[in-house]
Amino acid sequence: MTLSLVLSLLALAFVRGTPILLASLGGVLSERSGIVNIALEGEMTAGAFAAALISYFTRDPWIGAIGGVAVGAGVGFALGFAATRWRVDQIVAGMGINLICTGGAAFGLIFVFNQAGVTPQVPAINQALWPMVIGAIVLAAVLQWAIARTPIGLRLRACGENPHAARAAGIDPLAVRLYASTIAGALAGLGGVFLALGELNLYSDGMIAGRGFIALAAVIFGRWTPLGAAGVALIFGLLEALQFALQGTIAWLPSDFLQALPYIAALLALLGASGRYRPPAAEGKPYP
Amino acid sequence: MNRESAKALAVGTLGVAAAMSLAMIASHVSPIVGFNAFFYGAFGGKQQIAETLASTTALLFPALGIAIAFRAGLFNIGAEGQLLIGGLLAGWIGTRIDVPPAIAIAAIFLAGAIGGALWGAIAGWLKAARDANEVISTLMLNFIAASLALYLVTGPLRAPDAAGPELSLLPHAYWLPTLLSHTRATIALPIALLAAFALRYVLNHTWFGYRLRAAGEAPEAARRAGISLSSVALWAMAWSGALAGMGGAALVAGELHRFNTQLSPGYGFIAIAVALVGGLEPLTICVAALAFGALESGGLALQAAAGVPKDAIHVIEGLLVFALAARRYLGARGATV
Repeated sequence: MTLSLVLSLLALAFVRGTPILLASLGGVLSERSGIVNIALEGEMTAGAFAAALISYFTRDPWIGAIGGVAVGAGVGFALGFAATRWRVDQIVAGMGINLICTGGAAFGLIFVFNQAGVTPQVPAINQALWPMVIGAIVLAAVLQWAIARTPIGLRLRACGENPHAARAAGIDPLAVRLYASTIAGALAGLGGVFLALGELNLYSDGMIAGRGFIALAAVIFGRWTPLGAAGVALIFGLLEALQFALQGTIAWLPSDFLQALPYIAALLALLGASGRYRPPAAEGKPYP
Repeated sequence: MNRESAKALAVGTLGVAAAMSLAMIASHVSPIVGFNAFFYGAFGGKQQIAETLASTTALLFPALGIAIAFRAGLFNIGAEGQLLIGGLLAGWIGTRIDVPPAIAIAAIFLAGAIGGALWGAIAGWLKAARDANEVISTLMLNFIAASLALYLVTGPLRAPDAAGPELSLLPHAYWLPTLLSHTRATIALPIALLAAFALRYVLNHTWFGYRLRAAGEAPEAARRAGISLSSVALWAMAWSGALAGMGGAALVAGELHRFNTQLSPGYGFIAIAVALVGGLEPLTICVAALAFGALESGGLALQAAAGVPKDAIHVIEGLLVFALAARRYLGARGATV
């Protein structure tokens, strides 16, 4: 294998890993605050669809990108609001949100563009692909520092570990969780924007293809830390890139196996990781 | 039915009707025309009722399976994959055996149950032996099931008469008898209803059902009382997968008459909504499955006749689940997951 081939494989790994990375950072934030975020998939879908839609009508991809992030944040706010004010079962609400977002995007495609499956080509920001990749990695490092070393990070962690103690210390766990879930939605939405306007220049049904769930796996394997999740997300990106690189090169290896590779890897990681993963103590529990 | 659930039912129905009206108005369709098309599509005649019953059946099997896992406190999101593997094994057995039709149909359902149970048991074993998060493992297993099925039907099990990613057609004698002639409503529906009654009995009146509910409702207390949470996780996931797999067998033997990797347009996911709307009670789930079945077939008719995209129905189903999640906790202070 030549050096240039290895380099192009690594480059592809970073590009494929970044949307997962962004969503997993959102997942870390909301889960450290105590909200299980199974809705990352829906938030990515909403962000990607909104970005393509807005970019199509304004002809300005940057407004589209901002719109996609905003819509993702809106979905995150909805989950956070339901989780804090209505005390919903967060996994159930998250699944409802995923249904609404994927169904809504498919409905919107037909409703707005009068065609099923895919939007027309829209103005994109492909030139910003690498700055976004690097920005995402820097963001992971910044969040790592912020969660571990800043007062805001301490408050976030307190709400996820023991909201009653946090309350006693004068922190409002409901507000912290609502903010965290909203920012998580914005980050997952940005992951969707990266796919729709960074890598491609359109939205198509099923383009998220489970990346939100892979991001959720990255959160767990990354032990709920931003850098850990980012590392795992990039490994998933590498596995995706390997699919392309190995396609057809090894005759006895079926391509369907390569497609399943990231998922099999995640399952094997679960198998090998028994008991080493401790989620935030109050995760998933409504407060008060 | 007590007063509170009657109120919830009324609010839910009104909410769905309002959301559907909005979707129709957004698509420039008069709600009168739209609802007319919807109800005609769901209940308008023999063919339409049969379509509704077929969707009901396809949702009921996995929804019952999901209820088993959820009652045991396990979030089994993997019904779609379990249904697919069950359907694959059922469709394979159906083309390999040469026995009287009644035995063949029993074998096809058994194969579906075994396939689904094995796929579910992987997640159950991971939970039991390695304490692996079942939400993640069942989700991953959905993707792996899709790849595995595609690999097998395009590779080692490739059928000479296949036009797509599918196995051979089942012998005509093995096709499930229809309830209404020349429709997709088959005897799979009474089998599913029977399964619902059986599940209700098992959950409420057997030692297994008692241990399962105890593990779901108070795991720590159950563990201290000597109930093995590992064993409950393994068996609950296996039975959960078995029912989803029977749903796959019903689709293979009753509708497509062969296994195809496109067997299910997401029944395993919508069934989660069905199970939750049905309050995880087998008999209420039957009613919820009928309602969702009507939404599915009426939604298709709405798209064909009035041009309202069918996906609007999935948005409404999602809103229903979301609202339901909220309702359960609105008044219940001090409750935890």
